[in-house]
Formats: sequence, structure tokens, C-alpha cells
Amino acid sequence: MRRIAFSGLMLCIIAAPSVNAASLYAGQSRAAAVCAQCHGIRTPSADAPFPPLAGRDAAYLQSALKQYRDKTRKSEIMNAIAGSLSDEDIVNVTLYYSRLKP
Amino acid sequence: MKTIKKLLSTSLIASLTSVILPLSAQATPADPDKMHQLYEGNCASCHGSDYGGFLAPALNSTTLKDRSPTALRSIIMTGSFDTLMPPFYGRLSDDDIRGLVKHLQSTPKLDNPAWTIDDIKASLKVYVADESKLPPKPVYDIDSIDNIIGVAARGKYGRGSGSKAVFINSTTHQKIGEIPTGTAAHIIDYNPANPRWAYVKNDTAEIFKVDLYSMQAVRSVKTGFNGPGLGVSRDGKYLMAGSYVPHNAVILNADTLEPLKTFELEGIDPDGKMVSSDSGMVIGTPFADIFAIALENAGQVWVVDLKDDFPVTKITDVGRHLHDAFLTHRGSKLMVASYDDSIVTAIDLKDRKIIKKLGAGCVPHVGGGSAVKVDGRTLGFGTNFGDCDKTVVSVWDLDKMEVVKQVPVDGGTESPAAHANAPYVAVDIISKDRRARTIQLIDKKTLEVVKTLDVGGHAYFPEYSADGKFLYVSAGYSGDEVVVFDSVSLQRIASIGMESPAGLFSHGRVKYMTRGLSPDEMEGAKP
Repeated sequence: MRRIAFSGLMLCIIAAPSVNAASLYAGQSRAAAVCAQCHGIRTPSADAPFPPLAGRDAAYLQSALKQYRDKTRKSEIMNAIAGSLSDEDIVNVTLYYSRLKP
Repeated sequence: MKTIKKLLSTSLIASLTSVILPLSAQATPADPDKMHQLYEGNCASCHGSDYGGFLAPALNSTTLKDRSPTALRSIIMTGSFDTLMPPFYGRLSDDDIRGLVKHLQSTPKLDNPAWTIDDIKASLKVYVADESKLPPKPVYDIDSIDNIIGVAARGKYGRGSGSKAVFINSTTHQKIGEIPTGTAAHIIDYNPANPRWAYVKNDTAEIFKVDLYSMQAVRSVKTGFNGPGLGVSRDGKYLMAGSYVPHNAVILNADTLEPLKTFELEGIDPDGKMVSSDSGMVIGTPFADIFAIALENAGQVWVVDLKDDFPVTKITDVGRHLHDAFLTHRGSKLMVASYDDSIVTAIDLKDRKIIKKLGAGCVPHVGGGSAVKVDGRTLGFGTNFGDCDKTVVSVWDLDKMEVVKQVPVDGGTESPAAHANAPYVAVDIISKDRRARTIQLIDKKTLEVVKTLDVGGHAYFPEYSADGKFLYVSAGYSGDEVVVFDSVSLQRIASIGMESPAGLFSHGRVKYMTRGLSPDEMEGAKP
């Protein structure tokens, strides 16, 4: 996790101002605050009923989160949690999880 | 099968209904027995089996009086961010969660349930009957048993498959063994007389005797309902364990885990009131064949002699709400933290009296403490977990017994780590925001914070490896890893994954007595 964030920072310094670098940081902090409580960072608890997110396809995660937010996909808990995320949050968080090695 | 038989014998109709109706329809939300069992099985190890709180807040009709049931239900479902409270969505049915909320808001705090010496005796479990057949040396490669660091892994739910004691070789940073503990492991202590034995206490007050050579539990015993207090005598023959529920302590045979004597913890507090008391720290010392135990609410420290019928010397008026402590001067002096009056009281274990009350920061929690020898002075370090305006780490001259400095740090702190060979004293910032990710390093000589490490998660319980080359930190409940740093360059060099790691306990502690002293200094310091 750290290493990814760090290489993101290096990119930011070396390359032109990069949207990805900034959003990876934002995604990491949003993921820690909103998602990790249930889904963990790399893996959820062995005893927990929540699916792992690390390494999942970003586009899939984005569409799922948007469906949860718009309540076109029903889940009492995810409808409430995704409801607190902005479009930008969803992009950042899904980018962060998709880049994580499970 | 048994249940059905029993129902048949009582009433055919009842048994038929129970088969026909789905489980959720049978249990009315107000079924207090079922809800009490759910509470004991999911909540009690943190919130207290008497509904009176432990690591987590008390949940009863008084404390939850004006809380919205909807808000309580959603906290149970999603967990509480930046605390140990996990999400119970998917683990408990919605009916059960609603039933629990009703149950909690209508149940008063219970009286202390009894747990007598007979209960303790009956709880003894033997996993390895013939210990003579255990291997004579470690079955894995390790230069010295002192290189073992034990991790109290809580597991996400404070129980279940993630709850275990994990043992790591601190020279290779590889796991060498895991001991499942049922509920969250909390304290790991080592036998000073025989390197093969470790003792692990979990949050339901079960103690496991662990063979470090073959990495398995050989026996366990349940000493109460909760409470972290555990100590081992210097000769390795006795354990003493103290509980929050019930208010008692017990001396056990360290070999068989059989209980020898129990103690009711009660006394007159510094304000003159007779109170029944939680057990705070329990400590054995290389100084003498004694245990010292802090009575949290009674503000007393009892010294128990390990002879005859285990006679007790009571030291009163030590402070208001005592908690933990550390040893100095070859174990002849004890520094006890007192939460409510923000002092640390120095006690002479030889004369069994108070030497002096020293100023600390707000809500001192010394977390095992640290002592280092710098320029001829022996300095003690104490963390303070209050989140007040001025957050500091206290530094005392342990020979003169006076405050040297209150070192400003970023937030509340819980545990200091030091090592004779490492340049910094590490403290964990636990204030509940981004600061919780960090560890701060205090230079031993300048007594200033010189570096802040961003560990991630809820970083706490720093610990040096026995050789002082590596600094281990638990990234806690939102990190799910133990992170290893080089103790000089502070480069991050390894990570060991596990669920909600908490306390870290180096086997080297047996040698140092208090972290930061070299074995020579421990021997040489003036008694």
C-alpha cells in the first residue's frame, strides 16, 4: 500500500502534474475512512462476509458503487454508504483499490 | 437433535411450531435469554459480561438511555470508524440487531457474576498431557529464544479465527507460530526461569500456557470474565492474574495452571470510601519472590509474598484510579500510573511504602514503561493517554525521583519502547484522527521529538527486537499488519499481515526487566 502511494508521489514529481497521483492519495484516505472498516485494505477478515476489493477492475467497482449510490442495485448497507460518496470519491477509491495487489 | 427431543418430551405442539416456523419468527425481540446469549457471544469480550464496559463503553439501560435505537442499530451494522468496533452486518440478522438494541436499552448493569476458585479449577483444559515428550529444543531455526516477538492479534471481531497469539522471529521477520486464543489475545508474558514457556491471556480471561519450542498451547484455564492483569514470578513457579469482572485475583501454579489462592479486591480508596475494585497491573519482579498488584478503584498496591498462605501487605493511598506500572532499580522500585490525579507514584518494594508522587501528563498510561541510561542518569519514560491541550511524554530521573522534562508530542500516547542499543524512544500517538497512523521518536539525549513515522492504520504498541536493531509497530485495527523498521535509519523493511494486531511483547523483556535497560544496567543499577 505504502509503496504504491510512494511511487505515485514520485510520478507526480517527475512527470507533469498527474491527476492519478493526487487521486491515489485521496482514494487511499477515502478507502481507509469509508470502505476498509468492512472490506479491509488488502483482505477483509477471514470471518467477515464482505468481498475483497484489492486488485478488482476499476470500471466494475465504479459501476457497482454508482448503482449502489443510485439505489438501482439494492443493499441496505451499501446504499447508505455509497450515498456518502461523490463522483470524484468513487473514481479515487476505485482507482486506489484496483491498483492494490491483493 | 437434543433440543428437539427435549421439546418433544415437554409438548408436542411446541415442537411442531418450532419445526414449522423459521428461526427468526420464533424469537421475539424481547426474548431476554437469547439476547443475553447473543450479547455474551458477540459483545461481552469488549463491552463487559456485566454490561459495565471494558475496552469499550458500558452498554446498559443507564448509559444508552437517551440514544436513538436507529443510530445504535446502524453503529452495530457498520461498526464505528477508528475504533475496534467491527461491522456486524451479515454476521447478525437484522432481527437480532434490533432485538439487541432493545435488550441493551432495557438491561441494567448486572452485578458482578461469581467466578470462584472451583470454577477456575473446573475450567482447566489439558491439550498436551505428557509434557516430557515435547521436543527438547525449538523445532524451527532461531539463534536465541529472546529473538521471539509475540503479537496479541485481536481478530476483527475480537473473537474467531483471527484471534491468536502470533510469534515472529525478529531477525528474519517471519512468523514461526500461531496459537488460536478463541477471543482476542491481550497479554503475552514469558517464564523467566524456563525459556520454553509463554503465557497468553485473552479478553475473556483465559490463560494459555504455550510451549514456544513446539509452538502449541499445552494447557489453558479461565481465571475470570475479563481483565488484562497477568504476571509471572521470578522463579517461574507462579502466575498471578487479576480480573475486572469479577473483582478478584488468583495465584496459579505456573506449571499446571491450577489455582492456589484467590483474593477479593476491595479496600478503602484515597477519599475514604470502601470500594470493590478492578485489578490493574500484576507484576513479578527479579528483586524478590513477590507479586505486586494494583487495585484500580481502591487506589492501593498489594504486595503478595510467595510463601505460606501468600500473605498480603497493603500500600494505601497510591492514587485515584491506578492502572499500569514499570520496574526500576533491579526491580526493587515500582512506578505506578494513576489516571485520575495525573501522577505516577514511585513505590519501594523493599520497605513497601510510597517513595514519592511524581507529576505526569494527563491520564498517565505508562504501558509497560521504558527506562534508559543516558550520561550517567537513569531516565524513565511514561506515556499519557489523555487527549488534553498539552500532550506530553513524561521523563523522570529514577535515581533522584524527580521530573526531568515533559516532552511535547502530537497527541495522546499509550506505550513507550526503548532499547539500550537504539537511539530513540518510540511512542505511539493514539489521538483519533490522522495522528493515530503515527509513531513519534524521542532522541534519548536531547529529549526532543526528532522524527514522526507514518506507519498507517491505527499504529500502536512499538517494541524493539531483543538486539535493538529493529522497531516493530502494530498497524492496529485499520492496518492489519505489523510493520518493521530499521531502528537507526527508520527505513520500513518488512510487514507481517494479521487481523487487528495489538500488543507486541519481545521475549527480551525477561532479560531487561524494563524496556530500554541493558541486562548489565539492570543488574548494576543501585537497588
